[in-house]
Amino acid sequence: MNFFSIIKYDYLQRTRSYAFLITLCASLAIAYTFVPEPNANYSTIRIADYIGQYNSAWFGYVTAIMTSLFLSLIGFYLVNSGIKSDIETNVGQIVATTKVKNFNYLLAKVLSNFLVLLTILVIIFTMSIILFFLYSDGYSFEVFQFIKPYVLIPIPTLFFVAVLAVLFEVFFERYTVVQNIGFFFLFSLLMGPNPYNEKNFSLDLFGSKIVMSQMEEQVKQVADVKKTKQLSIGYVIGNVKKAKQFQFNGVNFTSSFIISRFLWVLLGFIMIYISSLSFHRFNIKEKITTKKHKATIQSKSIIKNISLSHLAKVKMNFSIFPLLKTELLLLIRKGKKWLWFINLLGMVLLTFLPLQIAHQFVLPILWFLQVSRLSEITTKEITNKVHYFAFTSYKPIYRLLVSQIGASILLVLFLALPLLIRELLIINFSGFISILLGGVFLVLLSASLGIVTKGKKLFEVLFFMITYANINGIPFLDYFGALTHSTTYLSKLLTLILILFAFTFIIRKKQLKKL
Amino acid sequence: MKLEIQNVSKRYTGNKYGLKDFSITIEKGILGLLGPNGAGKSTLLKMIATVSKPTEGTIILNKNNIVKDANYMRKQIGFLPQDFGVYPNLNAYEFLKYMAAMKGIGGKDLNTRITQLLEGLNLIEAAKKPIGSYSGGMKQRVGIAQALLNNPKVLIFDEPTVGLDPEERVRFRNLITDLANDCIVILSSHIVSDIDTIADEVAVLKNGTLLLKGHQEDVINKVRNNVFEISIPKGNYNLFKNKHLIVSTTRKSGNLMVRYITDNPLENSVKKEANLEDAYLYLTKTK
Repeated sequence: MNFFSIIKYDYLQRTRSYAFLITLCASLAIAYTFVPEPNANYSTIRIADYIGQYNSAWFGYVTAIMTSLFLSLIGFYLVNSGIKSDIETNVGQIVATTKVKNFNYLLAKVLSNFLVLLTILVIIFTMSIILFFLYSDGYSFEVFQFIKPYVLIPIPTLFFVAVLAVLFEVFFERYTVVQNIGFFFLFSLLMGPNPYNEKNFSLDLFGSKIVMSQMEEQVKQVADVKKTKQLSIGYVIGNVKKAKQFQFNGVNFTSSFIISRFLWVLLGFIMIYISSLSFHRFNIKEKITTKKHKATIQSKSIIKNISLSHLAKVKMNFSIFPLLKTELLLLIRKGKKWLWFINLLGMVLLTFLPLQIAHQFVLPILWFLQVSRLSEITTKEITNKVHYFAFTSYKPIYRLLVSQIGASILLVLFLALPLLIRELLIINFSGFISILLGGVFLVLLSASLGIVTKGKKLFEVLFFMITYANINGIPFLDYFGALTHSTTYLSKLLTLILILFAFTFIIRKKQLKKL
Repeated sequence: MKLEIQNVSKRYTGNKYGLKDFSITIEKGILGLLGPNGAGKSTLLKMIATVSKPTEGTIILNKNNIVKDANYMRKQIGFLPQDFGVYPNLNAYEFLKYMAAMKGIGGKDLNTRITQLLEGLNLIEAAKKPIGSYSGGMKQRVGIAQALLNNPKVLIFDEPTVGLDPEERVRFRNLITDLANDCIVILSSHIVSDIDTIADEVAVLKNGTLLLKGHQEDVINKVRNNVFEISIPKGNYNLFKNKHLIVSTTRKSGNLMVRYITDNPLENSVKKEANLEDAYLYLTKTK
């Protein structure tokens, strides 16, 4: 198989999916908010009391670093199943019998991943220019102020994220949960605060620190902001009215920074080469058999005479409890057994850590650990090809869907049980109800996105983003009441849940009608 | 028990039809659906099984329109899809209980019935092991078991012998014959030998339309007196193939023994007894 053919068809296969289209739309919607509309009630990048004037440099650099962070955050989850899909479709076994070398195959996967991310990048880039003309208020358009940051910041970052996606697939093979959680922690580590200096700029994968540093410098020139570390990056709501403006003129990238961006790409190539030496080349079953001595069960095919009229008689029984029980069983048995030890550890931490830490940090991580369980709530019928039975079952909406959602809610609330009990013991009903609603919200978000996209990706990507925001204390995405909120918070959350609930049922009903 | 399919069409995007203006009436016994890949067999079966809805037309079971009231059919159907899956983390017993719950059946005798089915299909020894560890034939038998869980009045098997070994195929055909005593069985296949030994009636489909439906004898009558066999040199095969409809070829003493269908047999041809495969090939290749 030709190297470029692998890239081309892999890219086409991914971008022609409905899930990609949905993710693209979601990315565009988020990118639209990167540079707030002049009267908007939020900011994305702000240095002390200052935001930049809406000139070309501000648009180019702000959207470039926001894209670098945002696409790195979700991009991994978007592209991290290239090899897995080759395993599932058995295309991998065909690839294994061709002359293509491991390195070439893995590199083709990296480039295909990269092209997928690049497609989104190009669309965001175009959108940033359109937004400039909408919001700029007379500043001249300087195309170089857009091209330069995009070339040097998000492009190398996205290439390396594409490499990481392949590396995680090679080294953790079928451990999807380890891949998801592993990247989460790696991303958090890479985003960690470092002092601004030349060395750290080069080590910054996302390329945002050098820009932020120079923005601070330029603010210092116009204002008396000496000790400023009051720099915020991310969505902060309601802080714009007081903001002053400064003129941002772009960044003079140092040669060491420029070289470092090439080195990140080079490092990616080296890592792919090293991983190709231990790539399984789709010889997976044998490996497992050798490890576990687990062979496929065979039984002699002696189909005896079966007479329907002589079988024990059954009665109609429309109770959903048997369905609920099996759905719960499916959730519990999903994934490796040892992951339950981590869940138990999480529950122990919820019991003994200070309440605020348990609520704000442990609970979202513990729930995020269930990402592969929750993302399958309404998609597993199709992925396991059980949908013919499921969709023709008796009242599939009011029995099966209800039991799927019910079982998932039971699971997430069971995991949060120690915290729920603690909230009750201190008579904090608001905290108690917030966690209950948070669990329900999470399940309904997954169920609705699974039904709409017919896949797991969008929920996985969003769940990752939301959890990251939760740990960083961003109030807007606090769906389980870990931060202080006004009294209207609970009612808003409840309204959102009701909307999601109605949406989930309506869409599933429509979907079944269209079969 | 009467299943009437009246002027049913399934139109996909554009003007593509999976099935076009299809009408058929099925009563007790086994109906074999024959047709090449893409003929519309699975499309038809999915609509009868209420997996999908017709774009036009009605499907009536005992005077109930199941296009409008799918649950009426769902209470009395057993369906084995062509390409079905299982939840690999459940064992056969749990999976069948789950399927029973989906179908809305239960009662104190459900466990007994599941055990009887597992015994009948020789799965009882592996019943407590995860289905993910089963062989393809065993999974297919789990599929058969789920189709028999309720007291089905209509049994639909879509290409049921795919993945079964020759011995399993024979035994499965015997099972279907037994089951047909109690209900309507609709069985699709593109392998004629799966149908010809058991079906009471045969329907031949091509390109989404019904070419012919009738008892096997009626179908075979279409080519009776037109099936011949002749020995030809290997070198003449391509020329022969262009002029005649070949059913099968076997090698014999350096020559080829060719079975073919024609109105004008060549000299030295030997007339043969026509069978369902001859009729099926004649219908699908010439119409």
